[in-house]
Amino acid sequence: MIRPSTRTATSPETSLAVVTGASVGLGRALALEFSRRGVTVVGFGRNLADLETTASMAPGARIVPMQVDVGDADAVALAFQEIRETVGDPTILINNAAVHPRRDFLDETPHEFMACLAVNLGGTVNCSHAALKSMVRAGRGRIVNVGSFADLAPLPGAGAYSVSKGATRIFSRALVADLGDRFPDIVVTTWMPGILATRMGLPDGLDPAVAARWGVELALSNERELNGAVFDRDVQVLEPRSLKRRVVEKLLRRSAPQRRLDPPIHETPNDMAVQ
Amino acid sequence: MNADIIRRQWDVIVIGAGIGGGSMGRRLAERGLSVLFVEKGPFGHDTEEQYLSTTLEDPFARKIRGFWPKRVAATIDGREMSFFGAIGAGVGGTSSFYAATLERPERHDIDELEDRPHPTGGWPVSYDAYRPYYGLAEQMFEVCGEADPLSEEPDPGLRSPPPLAADDRDMTESFRRKGLNPYYVHMGVRFVPGCQLCFGHKCPRRCKLDGRTAGVEPAVRTGQAFVLDNCDVQAIRGTRDRVSHIEVIRHGERATLKARTYVLAGGGLGSPRLLLASKSPEWPNGFGNSNDLVGRNLMFHLTEMLAIWPASGSRSSGPSKALALRDFYFRNGMRFGALQAIGVDASYGMIVHYLNGLYDRSIFRRIRAGRELTRIPAFIAARMFGNAKIFAGIIEDLPYSENRMLLDPEDPERLRFHYSFAPELHHRRRQYRRIVKKALSGHRTAFLNMQPDLNLAHSCGTLRFGNDPATSVLDANCRVHGVRNLYVTDSSFMPTSTGINPSLTIAANAIRVADHIVALHKQRAPELIDG
Repeated sequence: MIRPSTRTATSPETSLAVVTGASVGLGRALALEFSRRGVTVVGFGRNLADLETTASMAPGARIVPMQVDVGDADAVALAFQEIRETVGDPTILINNAAVHPRRDFLDETPHEFMACLAVNLGGTVNCSHAALKSMVRAGRGRIVNVGSFADLAPLPGAGAYSVSKGATRIFSRALVADLGDRFPDIVVTTWMPGILATRMGLPDGLDPAVAARWGVELALSNERELNGAVFDRDVQVLEPRSLKRRVVEKLLRRSAPQRRLDPPIHETPNDMAVQ
Repeated sequence: MNADIIRRQWDVIVIGAGIGGGSMGRRLAERGLSVLFVEKGPFGHDTEEQYLSTTLEDPFARKIRGFWPKRVAATIDGREMSFFGAIGAGVGGTSSFYAATLERPERHDIDELEDRPHPTGGWPVSYDAYRPYYGLAEQMFEVCGEADPLSEEPDPGLRSPPPLAADDRDMTESFRRKGLNPYYVHMGVRFVPGCQLCFGHKCPRRCKLDGRTAGVEPAVRTGQAFVLDNCDVQAIRGTRDRVSHIEVIRHGERATLKARTYVLAGGGLGSPRLLLASKSPEWPNGFGNSNDLVGRNLMFHLTEMLAIWPASGSRSSGPSKALALRDFYFRNGMRFGALQAIGVDASYGMIVHYLNGLYDRSIFRRIRAGRELTRIPAFIAARMFGNAKIFAGIIEDLPYSENRMLLDPEDPERLRFHYSFAPELHHRRRQYRRIVKKALSGHRTAFLNMQPDLNLAHSCGTLRFGNDPATSVLDANCRVHGVRNLYVTDSSFMPTSTGINPSLTIAANAIRVADHIVALHKQRAPELIDG
């Protein structure tokens, strides 16, 4: 039994967001959107020059670049320690970093397959574990895991990516199973941003800046009821429910409303498309 | 396991870090003794706020959450049952989940009075002798509340509670018009900003005072006390007249731990279980069990859940746990107990939870699908009880030798008990319901439970103290008769269950026994020979 929230949205001024994979694409867009909304951001990435470019795109706002390989658990633990000592306790984590290698399974080695999992799933595990240290101490926090529907219908030559993204969704559920009742103010959700016009996506995909507005809105929403929720772009995906449950909910008028993310409108710079 | 902890000879090992162990350990540590808490459950995190679940099955998940991991087995009125009781296992014990009620019992709960004979002839320590320790416990747990207007005892001088909500003020007025005497319940709550009235679940703000926040944590802060969590005590070992060591398992590793003095505080069910399981050639029936008294005289309170609607025109101001009455504590020569608001309005979820609890104990319990059906009456109840306050009436249980903890032959770790409802208890319950209904006429009221409901969180009496070793397990200082260095300071010591939540009595008694142990250590008393 979880009681409803007693508090509403996080205030941006007291938030500190960590965005992984912030050097390009959706991660960069998320970092910029956070800074636009007044949230200090630490951006993780492997390429320092790209991270610095991200930081320079948000003049006046605070985006702290940090060169970290999220697949390296020890490096991630050290990075979070450094954040806590120099910037503060992270209150928001968006596990966005991912690689999307295209390889026929017959051509790739098991090592290559697992290396992809180490970044995509491993990075999410490593960063969540490190971030939870201070979130548990505070009794509150926000984790958004970036997922995809790749696991439902894997593309040929994208086995490792598909497995890692399916596993990420399960990881969110497992985190909620472990923490949901004990720390209801540590809110974990999975977010599928859709197919984006980024290096990883398709040229005619969605502008990552648009997706980032939803992602940041979701990260700044921390009602307990969102724990374990899954969002497809800007709409909550409701769990399939049995007929009996739907009838009972109908009778008791208790069916959960489907949430739609409604971020504040602001001018979107158009330099955010394919880079 | 930490080698220093194993090698060290502690002044006192406290088994169980709940309200009895926590208050004991804090008092000992603050007065300079070295203390090792050995706790079955985890230390946990102080921002946790889970409810004590009686439905979560997985023992691993239960243990991490500080719930007693295994099902309790019981024979109740001859019927075999197995269920998860509201029993904690972790730092804070069951008190981590309690409703923070910390009230003194009545004089007749402890003393034999001319017009109110005591079921056991009175406790070996008098009400007046306990009074200063109740005061110390109220300080330790920062108790706030108002004096009971019916009480003839001196005002305990508690901290001021927050102001009454409008609906509680209205209810107070209408109770008074009925000639009743409501007062602000005595609670160990700091009411910090954002206080969520954490009753039934852990408090994440160090606002509720319990075995953890008022006991173990302050003890550890003295630098004198340490906690060995996730540590199962397998047996208490020693000769006929003293404990030499305890055998423990932690994370699969066996060890023995030593101290000059041992305090058992594993709860009204857990403590007798451990003694019964500690068999040896010297103690063939379990440690300290010379007269087959260990585990006997098991008592619980009966809880009568009562919905009371405010007098007409009054609107609910939201859940509050403020009002208590002792008007029905003792009536027509019969022992009952206090009636207290439990801190929830009759919401849908709470009633589902409550009805499910009833269902699990009902004869329909084997038909699991039917459990969903409790949602329908719950829904109707939520509509009906929309703005009712739920009160819990305590009915004192009396000691019967055949109601007892037993060693489970298949699994000595399991809590197993045998309990039959005495005919006089059924009779008192019927009288109680009639008396309360009548006294509250004018208010719309409804008892929510049909069957008598045992409060497993209030188990007590299983290692009663007394002056005569033939009829008691512990002496007046709560030391096992004939054993120089083993004390018990949980609810097991209580010869009678009283008419009030046992928490404050457990804490007051633990402080009293702690002072006795401190005095022995300061005098370097001969019973404290090193192991």
